[in-house]
Amino acid sequence: MKNSFSFRAPQNILISINLIGLLLVALYNDSFNKSTIFMAFGIILIIYISNFTLSKISTGDQYIFLIISMLMSLSIIMIYRLSPGLGVKQVVWFIIGIVTLFSSYFFIKSIKDWPKWMIFYITASFILFLATLIFGRTIKGATNWIKIGENISFQPAEIIKVLFVFFLASYYVNVKKNKNKIMLSAISYTNIAFLFLQKDLGSALIFFAIYIIIVYVYEEDRKFILYNIGAASILAVISFFVFNHVRVRVETWIDPWKYIDHGGYQIAQSLFAIAAGGFLGTGIGRGYPEFIPEVHNDFIFSAICEEMGILTGIAIIMLYIIFIYRGIKITLEQKNKFYRIVALGITTLIGFQAFIILGGVTKMIPLTGVTLPFLSYGGSSLVASFASLGILQATSEIFEERRGY
Amino acid sequence: MKKEMKNESNRIITVLVALSSLFIFLIVYLSYFEVFAADTIENNNYNKRIWMEEEYILRGNIVDRNDTLLASSTQSEKQQTRQYQYGPLYSHIIGYSNRELGKEALEKTYNKELLNISESTSINELRKIMAQNDLQQRGNDIKLTIDHEIQQYAMALLEKQKGSIIAMNPINGEVYAMVSYPSYDSNNLIENWDDIVEDEDSPLINRATQGLYIPGSIFKIITAASALENQNIKTNYECKGQITIDGYPLKDYNSNAHGSVDLHQSLVKSCNVAFGQIALELGQNNLKNTAENFLLNKNIPLDIEIKKSIFHTGKMNKPDLASTGIGQGKTQVTPLNMALMASAIANNGKMVQPILVKEVLSSEGDIIKTKETITLSEAISPEIASSIKDMMIDVVNSGTGKNAALSSIQVAGKTGTAQVTGQEDHAWFVGFAPADNPKVAIAVLLENYGSTGGSSAAPIARKLISKIIERIE
Repeated sequence: MKNSFSFRAPQNILISINLIGLLLVALYNDSFNKSTIFMAFGIILIIYISNFTLSKISTGDQYIFLIISMLMSLSIIMIYRLSPGLGVKQVVWFIIGIVTLFSSYFFIKSIKDWPKWMIFYITASFILFLATLIFGRTIKGATNWIKIGENISFQPAEIIKVLFVFFLASYYVNVKKNKNKIMLSAISYTNIAFLFLQKDLGSALIFFAIYIIIVYVYEEDRKFILYNIGAASILAVISFFVFNHVRVRVETWIDPWKYIDHGGYQIAQSLFAIAAGGFLGTGIGRGYPEFIPEVHNDFIFSAICEEMGILTGIAIIMLYIIFIYRGIKITLEQKNKFYRIVALGITTLIGFQAFIILGGVTKMIPLTGVTLPFLSYGGSSLVASFASLGILQATSEIFEERRGY
Repeated sequence: MKKEMKNESNRIITVLVALSSLFIFLIVYLSYFEVFAADTIENNNYNKRIWMEEEYILRGNIVDRNDTLLASSTQSEKQQTRQYQYGPLYSHIIGYSNRELGKEALEKTYNKELLNISESTSINELRKIMAQNDLQQRGNDIKLTIDHEIQQYAMALLEKQKGSIIAMNPINGEVYAMVSYPSYDSNNLIENWDDIVEDEDSPLINRATQGLYIPGSIFKIITAASALENQNIKTNYECKGQITIDGYPLKDYNSNAHGSVDLHQSLVKSCNVAFGQIALELGQNNLKNTAENFLLNKNIPLDIEIKKSIFHTGKMNKPDLASTGIGQGKTQVTPLNMALMASAIANNGKMVQPILVKEVLSSEGDIIKTKETITLSEAISPEIASSIKDMMIDVVNSGTGKNAALSSIQVAGKTGTAQVTGQEDHAWFVGFAPADNPKVAIAVLLENYGSTGGSSAAPIARKLISKIIERIE
């Protein structure tokens, strides 16, 4: 009972923000019609029902979903303002996401022998990678999409991320039996190399972060970590000189103004938007975020900063910090080693992905195109993020350490 | 087993701290960006937002200190045209506002004021709505400190000679005239752009603020100031017209021997032999400190783009140091910096910030903003300033600057003839008047003119000073 009470207050704040935000957007767009009402009540209903259901079926963490609800609300408000049509679709994506969340939650709990399947994780990853290489299509400069059906395409890398976390977890659960660091690093770096070849630098970075963090926490041989960091740094420097797509990213990061006509255009537009917003923003509907190409995807944060101010931007960053804190708390409290590593991996996955795109659009670090989890517009990456969330929710429940692992 | 768990927990907490730090750093960076970088970035010409605002606001006028119209905008059908009444005369100060080429100079710096873009977006929004109802909004006007007649006269005095003239009030920093030749016409820019850019004489450069020139003997003002600041410096020399320093000869103009000279006489006669040795006595560090007090190597805050004057900071050998002391060597200065140097002597050692924009006025004529006088540097003490002023008076009365003398007003000044390797000499004159109650400080530079400052720059200074005193009285 105590649990179901604790999330009410934040939930009500959330609902109020939703109502105010959507009302503002509707007024701005002069689009107060059925779809607006559908959206406003749709979101509120979804958030209420999901929270309630979650509190009934899961004994684990009750805060993570509230954080995600807040992020999704901002996402829907902003995308609806950019394009009402996409906004409505984003609500549909939200619903698909929640269904995915519960499915993956039950799926994870229904199987008990996850650590036994290490070979499967490895094989599945490579099959997916090969499929991408063979059937892959180039969208936005990266060859990492597979098309299934007329309008549906997805990035296999989103699934491989989760498989990768499971692989690392099962390796370290069975570390005494495996004890094969060469295999561990060979598989990990092959994964990263695949992404690199597909020019998906953002995902390559995320994989490396997950790998290095899990190795840092669980590897007995401390020198091995240093070797990894050393080798990765050398490879990074070499790739700067060898691969044109890496060099372009770094150069447009150092001086986007010089390359504003080609590579630096997007980042320059993003900086204009953030600069125009100031601390309090121009107000919803009063800025020009549509000047940024692909604004509803990777650059949603810049649009939010322009119209809602960097104070909202900072609030979003803080939400991610709370998310990471909850994820790490789950890791510390979980007794079962496998789930512990999975929780750590997924927290890193979502947290680090958020960081590299936030840092990218603000020009703090070179821009690598990944979506901002739970804020960018829909698609396979949003569904994958919700699936990861379902896994994290499952790991937040207490599993006893099983013998033999 | 327990220890292992503890180890693991500690490492997990390290991961938490590391990940959180990334985000906290992001917050700090974002705040820094908004406070320090956002303004500059917003004004970038590629930012389409600037032009969005301009469609419904008539850009304000720019006028001189006596309300002579210098730039204005007119609205016809759906297009706004900007007209620059005196074209090339003000291009380096006012710049231009052009859709294709962007904005320059004051048009760039004062863009928000000229459009009266409010900090409050709600007010901007309201204006947009009013604009839709054909109530066009007008931006603010800008009043310069420039006096149009003086500006025009200064440009005429240059007689199409490459160079720059600056005249300013040494006490409050108001600039009366700032001309740079060659110039370009801010009107019809697109048609002439290729010619302007390809012109070998670089008309786009404002020589007053962006041109870097060897100062020649006008730098001796700084060497003399440094000699007065640092006690126990030998300042009396016997000048035989030439001296050899580590094998390199240092000559006076035409190898004239000045005989026995003290510091005062050395400056009046512009004696290279004496100043070369004074620089050696002072050492590089002391000379550099005084030069930097006069804002060489420093940023001078100004509403238009300006370069830093350069005093060489790398190691100098003796011949280098001696030639630096007489204004040769690796020193390079902007004419505006030299006008400020003269102002500082006139203003008891205090160097004030040069001001180009006197007021920002609303479309109803109310003053919205005025510029306050700011002291940039206490370059030297009032006593030293007074001694140097006495020397500069004698330069004009009996020394190299006789051509700047006026019968009714006491002028103080210093000439310079800067030798440029492989090219003709630059002619310089800096000074102020009236000496006992300075009202104007000036710098005249004739680029590669091939004549001495005393014979070519000083007469220009005399005519300009006479005109200015007559106008302000």
